Formats: sequence, C-alpha cells, structure tokens
Amino acid sequence: MRTLLRRLGYLWNRRRYDAELANDLEFHREMLARQGNTNLGNALALREEARDAWGWTWLDRLSQDVRYAARVLRKSPLFTLAAILMLAIGIGVNVAVFGFFNLVVLRPINVRDPGSLVRFHRRGQTQYAFAVPYPEAAFLREHSRTLAAVIGVNGTSVAVEGEEKPVNANFVTPNFFRELGGASSLGRVLDPAVDEAAGADPVVVLGHGFWLRHFGGDPSAVGRTLRLNGRQATVIGVAAADFGGVGSGVSEPALWAPIAQHPYFVKGSRLLTDLSVESPGVSLWGRLSPGQNASAAEEELRMLAAELRRQYPAEIWENERLLSAPGGYATSMMMGNRRGTGVEQGDPIYPIFALVGTLTLLILTVACGNLGSMLLARGVARQREIAIRVAIGAGNGRLIRQLFTESLLLALLGSAAGLAFGTVVIRSLLAASGAPAWLDPTPDWRVSTFALAIGFASAILFGLTPALQVGRRSSGANLARQVLIGAQVAASCVLLIVTGLLVRALTNATSSSPGFEYKQVVAISPDLARNGYSPARSQAYLDALEERLRATPFVQSVSLALSPPLGHVTISVGTELNGHHVEFQSNYVSPTFFETMELPILRGRAMRLGERRVVVVSDAMARMAWPGEEPLGKTMSFGDNFTVVGISGNVRTVKFGASDTVHAYFPLEDAHLPNLTVMARTSGSPQDLARAAAIAAQSLDSNIFPTVEILSNSFRTNLEGAEYSTLAISSLGLIAQLLACFGIIGVVSYAVSQRTREIGIRMALGAKPAHVLSVVLRHLSLPVLAGLMVGVAGAAGLSHFLRGRLYGISNLDPAAYLAAIAIFLVTVGVAAVRPARKALRIDPWRALRHE
Amino acid sequence: MPSGALTLLILRVLNSGVLHGYAIAQRIHTLSSEVLQVEEGALYPALQKILLKGWATAEWGISETNRKVRFYRLTPAGRKQLASELSDYHRVHEAIQAILRTA
Repeated sequence: MRTLLRRLGYLWNRRRYDAELANDLEFHREMLARQGNTNLGNALALREEARDAWGWTWLDRLSQDVRYAARVLRKSPLFTLAAILMLAIGIGVNVAVFGFFNLVVLRPINVRDPGSLVRFHRRGQTQYAFAVPYPEAAFLREHSRTLAAVIGVNGTSVAVEGEEKPVNANFVTPNFFRELGGASSLGRVLDPAVDEAAGADPVVVLGHGFWLRHFGGDPSAVGRTLRLNGRQATVIGVAAADFGGVGSGVSEPALWAPIAQHPYFVKGSRLLTDLSVESPGVSLWGRLSPGQNASAAEEELRMLAAELRRQYPAEIWENERLLSAPGGYATSMMMGNRRGTGVEQGDPIYPIFALVGTLTLLILTVACGNLGSMLLARGVARQREIAIRVAIGAGNGRLIRQLFTESLLLALLGSAAGLAFGTVVIRSLLAASGAPAWLDPTPDWRVSTFALAIGFASAILFGLTPALQVGRRSSGANLARQVLIGAQVAASCVLLIVTGLLVRALTNATSSSPGFEYKQVVAISPDLARNGYSPARSQAYLDALEERLRATPFVQSVSLALSPPLGHVTISVGTELNGHHVEFQSNYVSPTFFETMELPILRGRAMRLGERRVVVVSDAMARMAWPGEEPLGKTMSFGDNFTVVGISGNVRTVKFGASDTVHAYFPLEDAHLPNLTVMARTSGSPQDLARAAAIAAQSLDSNIFPTVEILSNSFRTNLEGAEYSTLAISSLGLIAQLLACFGIIGVVSYAVSQRTREIGIRMALGAKPAHVLSVVLRHLSLPVLAGLMVGVAGAAGLSHFLRGRLYGISNLDPAAYLAAIAIFLVTVGVAAVRPARKALRIDPWRALRHE
Repeated sequence: MPSGALTLLILRVLNSGVLHGYAIAQRIHTLSSEVLQVEEGALYPALQKILLKGWATAEWGISETNRKVRFYRLTPAGRKQLASELSDYHRVHEAIQAILRTA
C-alpha cells in the first residue's frame, strides 16, 4: 500500500525525481572520469532503465503511442474519415439493436424500486391467463404478507368529450402512484386515504401526453370537469412527464382513475365483482416485502388461491398458481392480457432480437473485414516508415503495440460515432412509432459500455491481424489475405441471403391476400358485457341489431364472432391432438361468419344454426393435427368432444409467428353473447355502413357506445407495422450488401495490385495477358469459393432457425441463394479485373521499378 | 551478480553509513577486494527500487568533490529488510555449503 502511494508520488513528481536521478548519474560519471574511466554508455538509456523501477514506463509508452497514432490518423484524414464512417455504421446498427433491447428488457422502468416489483399471471393445470379477476386480486391484496403492496391495473377504453376516438383509461388501485413513486407535475395524484372510500368523488389523473394534447398544456385543467362516457369526473392532477407506471401495454394511458369508480364510468361494469375468466380483470403487480423473494410470494399466493377456491370452486382453478415474473421492465408490460389453455407461449421478443442482433453483428464483421484489409494495405504502404522505426531500435512487440494503438484509437472514435448514430436511429424509430415519452432512448451506462466493448472487440477483429502481419513483416501475409477474403465473402454471403429471405417473406406476407375478403367488412363491438347485459338480454339486443343491419341498404351478410379477424382479442390454445402438439387460435362464430368474411370452406361444410359439438378447422390446422389423414369426421377433444365438419381456408394476418394460420372455429355458446362482435359485409361504401351501424347500435340502447372498425383500416394499421419491419430489414440488408461489395472490391483489388510487379515480370517474359489474368483469378478462386461455401451453409442454418420462429421463411429459396451468389461472383470479377487490366497495361520496366 | 544479491549488498553497506551512489559502488568494489564491480546500469535501478520500497531515503548533501549530490540513508524498514535478507542468505549459504562438503 505504502509502495503504491510512493509509486503514485513518483508519477506526480516525476519531473523532480527525474532531475534528481539525472544528477546522480551525472555525478557518477564525473567520479568515473576522475579515475580515467571514460567508457560512457548511453546516459538516456541508463536513466530510462533506472526509471523502470517506478513502474510507469507503460504509461509513458501508451501516451507516446496514442500521440503518435493521433498524428498518423490526422495526417491521412480521408482514410480516417472512411474508417470512422465504416465503424460508425457497423457499431451504430448494433448500438441501435442493443439500445432497443436495453430499453425493453434490461433497463428498469421509471418507477420507485423496480427491483422488488413482480407481475403475476394465473396458471392452472390446463390453462393460463394474464388478467386476474379483480375480486381475486382484492382477496390477495388483503391477505398477502409477502407482498408489501398489490397493484391492479385495468385498461378500458372510454369516450372522452371532444376526442374523436375512445381513449385508453387505466383504472388502478389507489395505491398505484404512491407505490410506484409517481409524482404529479400539476395538482395531486391518487391517494389511497381519499380515493379508496366507497363514496369518494369521481376523479381522474391525466397522463402528461394527453394533457398536452387535449388541454394544450393548460395548467387550469386541474380542477375542471371532464366527461368520460358521459359521466362527470374532476381532474385532480397531471402525472409527471416521465411517469408511465405499469399497465398491460407499453403505450401511455390517457388518464388514470380509481378502480372503484369503474362501475360509475362504465355502465353495467361487473369488473369489481366478476370472478370468471371472461372478466377483463386487472393486470396484477406486487411489491415484495423487504426480505421476501418471488418464490416465497408464489408459495403464499398458491395457498391463498386454494383458500379462495373453497369459496368459489368454479371460478378459481384447481391447483391454481400465480406465477411471477420481474415487474420492473418494459417487457413485463408486453404480455398484454392473453389467456388460453396449455402453457403460455414464450415471449416472442427474444428470437426477434436474436435474429436482428445476428444480422447487425454480421454487418459489423463485414465492416471490420473491410477496415482490416484497408489497414493491411496501409501497413504495406507504411513499410518504409516501419523499417525506419525498426532500424532505430523498435522491437516487434513495441511495433505491434503501436499499430494496435492506432486501431484502438480508431475504434474509440468509431464507438463514439456509432453511439451517436445508433441513438439517432432509436430516437427516430421511437418517434415514428409513437412510443410513450417515458421510453427514453438516451444512452445509459449499459449502452455506452456496450458501444465501448463492441468497439474494442472490433479493434481486435480489424486491427490485430494487420498489426501482427506488419510486425512480422510480410511472411504469411498472403495467407492472411486469403483468409480475410474468405471470411469476408462468407459473412457477406450470409447477410445477403438471409436479408433476401426475410425481405421476400415479408413482402409475401404484406402483398398477398390475408385469405379472406376484408375490404367491405365492418366490425361492430357493442361491448354488452361492459354494460351489464345478461346472455338473454344480449341475445335480444344482437338479434335486433342484426335485423337492423340486414335491413340497411347494400348489406349482403351479417354474422357474429367472439374474436373478429384483425381485432385485438385472440384466444390461443395449446393442446395435444392426435398425438401432435398444436397451438391454435380459437374463435366462436355464427354459421354465416364464413360467408361474411368470404372465407372459403374448402371441404365439408360450415356449422349449422343451433348445432353444437362441431368445429371447423383451418387447412393449416388439419395438416398439423392429422397429417396425411382425412380430417373430416375426426373428433377433437377440447373440454367436450367436437367433430370436425369442415375445413376452411387459412386466414393470415400479418404477424411474426407461424401459428397464425392455425385456427379452429366453434359454434357460439350462450355465455359468449355479451362479448360478441357483429360483422357486416356491404356492397356499398364501408364508411357509410360504419356510420349507419353506430347509429343503429345506439338507437337500440342509448347507453351503448359501440366500437366500429372498418376492417380495411385495421388491415392497413396491421400492415404498417410489417411494412416498417420490411423497410428496416431491407435497409439493413442494403447497408450490409454495400459494405460487403466495397470490402470485396477493396480486398481483391489490393490483392491484385500487390502482384503488379509479378505481372510485369510475367509480361516481360512474354506471358499472354489472358494467361496472366487467369493465374491471378485462379489465385482468388480458392478463398472466394471457400467463403461462398461457408456462407451458404451458414445462411441455410440461420434460415432453418428462422423458419421455426418467423412466418413465411422458406428454407431453400433458390432465388435468394442464386442471387446472392451471382452478386458475389460479379463483384469479385469486377473487383479483380480492373486492377489486373491496369497491371497488364503497365510497362514492364515501370513494374519492375515499382515500390 | 544476481539483482537480489546486489540489493542485499547495497543495504548492507548503507547499514554502516550514509553514502552517495558512487560511494556505494566504490564501497562494494573495495570491500570485495576489487572482485565485484557494480555497473551504473545495475546500481541505479536497484537504488530506485530500494527507494520505492521505502528501505532507504535520499537526502541532499555535499560530496567530497564539493558537489551537490544525493546521499542514501537506511530506514528502519530497510534495516528489517536487511536482517531478513541476511538470514535468508545465511540459510541458503549453509545449505549449499552442506551439500558441497558432503556430496
């Protein structure tokens, strides 16, 4: 410790200590000279040796190297600029992907103590649900000891006066703001002491974004009255701009209201009392008590659920568990409110990140390859300088260190530029997709560290080989070049093929028909359940609405469905069928559904009115469950036994995920009636029908505010996302392709120009140009072929991986493969022939004097 | 001469008095009956190490030639170090002697 302090003292006072040392040595010399000993060594070298004991030599050398590297880079600004640009692209795309990953997976959301937040979902023996019925949540809230707080959030869209579309309101337990540390920027937030009471005044807290949009940021909004679904509420405050809290989706809600007020705002709401799985329920979050962990909480909640089941054996599942996941991240909100049977599907976000991450890493590899060959070429051009440095005593190690320092400096600059570039990319993507304000893309320490680390890794990738090469001075340079060409071809090949496959898959998905005719269809959701309709009353209402719609001019067909296509509600089911595991979307429809959607029945028939225990499955599902067998007449055991009576065409909405085409359509059951959506097809204008339908739905019951969707609009919204990904992936592909081609051109023309002298000699000795050319090209063919082979194999492997996860990727798309290979051969050819021809035209004498 | 031995010798000559660098070399030279010759290239790095470890301190003084020069003085830590190095040396020396006598 003392030694270390003294060592630091030497660093601090080095000038003084150095002078003292110099004086010592000088004196020593004088004394030696007095004795007639004049054999004087190099005083400076001696001093340096003595100074070694202080242990700061490396720092001296490093600062020398850095200064020298900076000078070298400044001296060739074009090279430096090109290198930094290349790195900025390579590192930037990786930073962008990692930044997204960080934002949704790694970085805790802006709430108090996110580490102790957990989100729960229900898991029974055969089913799961991400929404928890409110009475169950309230029971857990009351009895749990392992959880210091239980937070429930219910998202409901409500009509706000002055807003065209319904807005998303989050009905929350009043401890929401206090537990999550959400402050107000104006007025106050919800307070359990005031807003929990049964007779409390109806109040809302506005989201910051909604406040800006709706009130134009007017501070006097606080205290005003706002009408939600026609009911008055007092605005008590505006949440802080960076607070989004938690909820069942990442988008920022327009406003928050106490959950106890749900029945007041939403007529007929049974949210507070309904224990059934059909209840919209709440997304359930808990804060672990100090010293408790998630598994202790799960264990306690399992016992509490069992206790509750004794009171409600029908609603609480057998052996029901409430499984926890970390709650303090954006991913915890992306689960939505899915439910289904079997085991819930894993988060689809990871495979997508893995895929995009692989692509961007490949881009970086290609960029590094390009830079490596540039450095290699420069190294040869700098041979003179290096020879001089060797002549005045630079060792190999020192030389390599010097060259690698240059690479590190480049990488550092590239990291900084890449960080800036990546942040701009994230920022513009987030802005374009309308992400909430609290998803802040400013790079945090994770992203900055990542940029630095990946810069360092790329310095090793692009800098070490050329440095070693130059250090060793030319022996084996040829082999290194060959390996470099091969690696570059391989990486570029994978990139090219995979992006080709992806772009083709996405364009297929977006350009081809979804399997049904959506353009003329309107979906009307009267949301009877929210208005307290019983099944019998719903039946009457729906009959009347259907009647009205049929009587509307141009309407061709009317039907009912539980989950309208392109809607937000999907019920996914995983089950064993005929020994195959099948994941499908289940839907409950009226017999005319297939006619309304113009969804073809390929074989068999649709269900008949009043028929039970039958099912129509999609072609994809039939192939999955009964491959090579006759599906008609087969029995599907799913609660009850259902007989397959028909095979429908596949419905394909644009989503990543192959299970999308696998559908089963069951006949409607009475319990579904309050939740049904009415679908109507018109031969006239869908806009007119939408207007007429809204009027019809309200005239039957003035309390109903139906959601009317024109399916072609929903389809377009759906498409926008996919088009966006296509665009993103295509531009990634384009960047990669450009980088790859530049790299190949650079490497190949460098390799050929290195042989200018040899070509000159061959020509002087009378070789024919064609022969010389073929020798040069043959020399290149080995690494190019090897690279192509590795690249194609890698691409095949990657696309096999993709096929399992993404929709519409074919394993062997010959067009994509052939196109990639052709692009490569042409690029290599062009790259090789140009410098070769230049070399061929050269005067042999000049070629011999070359260098 | 191994560098560890040089350190031991420097510590030993400093133990009997405050000396400047050249005098240390001279002292070793004469005491060894002109067998051991300490070069600058070895002496000054060793002295720097001794200073760094805190076994000696340097102070300004006037040399016999009337010149400003640094004198090195052993610290208590240096004395301790000398004692332990000496006992180490003796042990190893005995051991080697024992082998040479009997083998």
